[in-house]
Amino acid sequence: MGGQGSGGANGGPQYNPANVSGTGGAGQSGNYTGFGYGKNQEVNNQRIQGNQAMASAQSATPSAPTEPYQGINMPQLGTLTDPTTRPNEPITAGVDFGPGPGSEALPQGFMNNTRIDENAKIVAQYLPDLAHAAKSPDAPDSFKNFVNYLIQNSQSAARNG
Amino acid sequence: MADITWMPGSLFDNIDKFANSLGYQNSGIAIQLAMMSWKSPEERDAFITSITGEDPKGGTEKNYIKQNF
Repeated sequence: MGGQGSGGANGGPQYNPANVSGTGGAGQSGNYTGFGYGKNQEVNNQRIQGNQAMASAQSATPSAPTEPYQGINMPQLGTLTDPTTRPNEPITAGVDFGPGPGSEALPQGFMNNTRIDENAKIVAQYLPDLAHAAKSPDAPDSFKNFVNYLIQNSQSAARNG
Repeated sequence: MADITWMPGSLFDNIDKFANSLGYQNSGIAIQLAMMSWKSPEERDAFITSITGEDPKGGTEKNYIKQNF
């Protein structure tokens, strides 16, 4: 007679179901038992085939790289003052100042029209300090002209809502 | 607020140079570039020249208070 944890009578199912692992391996034998006559072998063969298929799939699936973009040949990110990596193209290509094509050369939809808002936000943030600096007797005329332009722009923007 | 001392490479000098070199319509970019930590006015001016293809515009040195270092 088997006690708890041993096989049941005549090799039948175990008395203690906690000793049987649903995934196999962690139980006493790893083989499923208790199915109908002739079915145990069939079920266990299916389990073995399933495990082999899983192992094969896992080995074929590349594991996630430990570092992002590992294996991708990315150029090192330089600094703003580094020499250009595209010497045949003006550094200002795509912007509306300097040599090269302006923003009209950019693909449609590439730019959104947020730059005006961004400018206004930055200017609004610093305009009081800039205006104070422009009152300095040493302030160059070019700086005063710039601050006057910002003040006029901010006033007209306020009028237009 | 303390009085502003206009010296080459100071924040307001940088703003003056970038705003007048890049154009007033690019004031946001100009202010942000002016806030970068430029090693020297020469490096800043070289950067302006590299992106505009022209000499920096803005106040000249005659506007600055001459200091003996």
